[in-house]
Amino acid sequence: MASIPIVESTDLRAEFFERGGENAAKCYQCATCSSVCELAPADAPFPRRQILLAQWGLFDQLMGDPAVWLCHQCNDCSVRCPRDVAPGDIMASLRAMVVEKLAFPGALGSLVGNVRKTWPLLVLGPILFWAALIGITTGFGEVETHHGLQPGPTMGQYFYDALVPHSLIYAVNFAAVGFVCLVLLVSGSRFWKMMGDRQTRRGSFVGSLIGVVTDIALHRKFASCERGVPSRRWGHFMVMWGFVGAAVASGFAVVFLYADTPPFSWFFALPFFEDIGYPVPITHWNKWLANISAVLLVVGGIMLFANRLKKGDKLVGQTTAFDRFFLWLVLSVIATGVLTEFSRYLVADPSVGFAVYVIHLGVVLSLFLTLPYSKFAHIFYRSLAMVHQRMTST
Amino acid sequence: MSENKTSPLLVIGAGIAGVTAALEAAEMGSEVVLVEESPSIGGRVLRINNYFPKLCPPSCGMEINTRRLERNPRIRVLTSSKITAAEKIGAGWKVTITTAPAYVTAACTACGDCEAACETTVPDPHNLGLCTVKAIRLPHLNAWPKRYVFDREAVGDAEAKRIAEACPVNAVDPSAVATSVTIEVGAVVVATGWRPYPIENLEELGGGRIDDVIANVHMERLASANGPTGGKILCPSSGQPPKRVAFVQCAGSRDVNHLNYCSGICCLASLKQATYVKEQLPEAEVTMYYIDRRTPGRNEDFLLKVAALDGVKLVKGKVGRIERNGGSVKLHVEDVENVRLIEAEADLVVLATGMVPNAVDDDLAIFTRKDDEGFVLDDLSSAVTVAGVARRPEDVAASVRDATGAAARAVIAAGGRS
Repeated sequence: MASIPIVESTDLRAEFFERGGENAAKCYQCATCSSVCELAPADAPFPRRQILLAQWGLFDQLMGDPAVWLCHQCNDCSVRCPRDVAPGDIMASLRAMVVEKLAFPGALGSLVGNVRKTWPLLVLGPILFWAALIGITTGFGEVETHHGLQPGPTMGQYFYDALVPHSLIYAVNFAAVGFVCLVLLVSGSRFWKMMGDRQTRRGSFVGSLIGVVTDIALHRKFASCERGVPSRRWGHFMVMWGFVGAAVASGFAVVFLYADTPPFSWFFALPFFEDIGYPVPITHWNKWLANISAVLLVVGGIMLFANRLKKGDKLVGQTTAFDRFFLWLVLSVIATGVLTEFSRYLVADPSVGFAVYVIHLGVVLSLFLTLPYSKFAHIFYRSLAMVHQRMTST
Repeated sequence: MSENKTSPLLVIGAGIAGVTAALEAAEMGSEVVLVEESPSIGGRVLRINNYFPKLCPPSCGMEINTRRLERNPRIRVLTSSKITAAEKIGAGWKVTITTAPAYVTAACTACGDCEAACETTVPDPHNLGLCTVKAIRLPHLNAWPKRYVFDREAVGDAEAKRIAEACPVNAVDPSAVATSVTIEVGAVVVATGWRPYPIENLEELGGGRIDDVIANVHMERLASANGPTGGKILCPSSGQPPKRVAFVQCAGSRDVNHLNYCSGICCLASLKQATYVKEQLPEAEVTMYYIDRRTPGRNEDFLLKVAALDGVKLVKGKVGRIERNGGSVKLHVEDVENVRLIEAEADLVVLATGMVPNAVDDDLAIFTRKDDEGFVLDDLSSAVTVAGVARRPEDVAASVRDATGAAARAVIAAGGRS
């Protein structure tokens, strides 16, 4: 006898409908969506089946379903859907649900999941935390920079480590990153196990990972599915590489700071890495790397934002609070980051630059801390799902 | 009915619904004016090869109706005519009927001498443009009235003159003009029928883009003995019989981007057409891709009968994309029951398109009560009743039943109710 699926929780379904999944109820399972999808694997097509599971409220089955993440939301399906279900939006809402259900600890998942109400806490909390921390430590007074350099045209008019010592940034951000890694390890292994229970993986993890990283680096999946909104693909491409560039430049900056200590001194013997002291002049290649990344971030960020303004376009889809929070957070990080740099060169009064800098540190911390629970988590779950798919299809 | 002289009834459209309504009203004792836009009566049913589920040709039913028409003195039939103005007068309507120029008069004996003299060819409207015909011709084998039609705009004056001179009874008048008449009627039966949803709108399904992707209405013509292929089902691109035929259900139906409703006949039409294919080409593989198999009532038996045929397969899943693939056609669809994406090959693809009500873009006052999709609603307070597909999508049998009801309501409305 066939088993009859039981609606696991009508509350969850109501919650799903509230978070942008409402149109799932209109679906009559014609499967046009799956047949027009460029990314759906032949032996596990999506999104028709996922919409059916959502209609039934079977989110437990969707938690370990890689299809939820294999979708890159090109919205080809939403354009063709005969019932205006917007399957692309349903998949996006499912990802939000799944991120919350997989979250560890669950309470933090709910906190970010309810971002429509909790966003002020999530943004202002980290900013106030930084303000308080600075108040306690340096008391907003200027501290002696350890290099004692003078400001100049290529150096800017003041240095931010006069307000916030690097050690303080390491202490906070390394702790935040450590926390994020820890919780992702917990949710990630749950997710990985759930996917493995459904489908046996055969291929090599490392080989698949290399393939996935290449796919992501070149945005291959985006390229194969994107038909209508190239600004989304290229906007995402630029923002992603902008963040990568900024991270690499920050890494080098730290290395430059500490490479004069004995175990690392061999570093300055490398070509291009001669000790130039601190602060690094804006003409240095690492500053070029950072500033090119900033340009990518600004242009890409504007493209993604402009894309969201095209309301009512089926190729763009809806924007939920979950989307809006992440997009605004990323845009705030980009904007405050660029303004922090500009202020140092263009505004004589250090208090302006310092104020922007504190906000910047706050939104960066918010971005880090919410990563496992916000839309940012796609970087993690989607990558894992893509690796899983490669390992099952080889 | 009072002893006062009652106004006649106007029936707009002489398809199966309009003809039936006119006959029923006339046989109840009403005077009827039956107005048809085409040169001959019969409408869409005469383009159908066989009815489902009995698989008999529609021509015999129309023959009986034609005989009833001919014998009934209360019906006046105006072909090549349409209502160009309508005004509410008292309990009824004042309407202006404009008749297209009678390039061929009633004197025509259908001898065919004019056709022999004519060189110009035009796409054949009866065969939905699948072949060409002479600019002067009999509309089709069973045309009633049996009179030639002349596509005057298609030929030059010199040729028109030659054609006129070829007529032994002087029935061709190349300089005829349109005429119009204004009459008062007591009630109106709207039976304006339907037209097929254009497959050119279904570009993603290859409509108008791939030769071997045709509509269900084309399939009826291919299977008809008096159709463009003499009744042989052949691929338009190659002229060869297909080995694999695919039916794509809900092509532009139940779809917010096209027709947002179910026409209710396409599933049965495709099943019926599957029998055409299997009868002619027993080796052919027939696959029908569907969302739901909508075969209500006794038609369920027909579904089961066709589904049991050897080489007939029904797959749940709507076809999303169709593309050319060398000499054949490739269909992209999810096999929902097996949760698999398939890329199916076919030689001939039939898009099961739905019915668009002709009244959708008609703005005469008679048609003011319409639903969102353009189907006309009864308005008894204005003495307007609706029959057949003008009212809702339905099959021939339902149209006929519907027409009887519409005729009865119109007779009552025309007689005046207290």
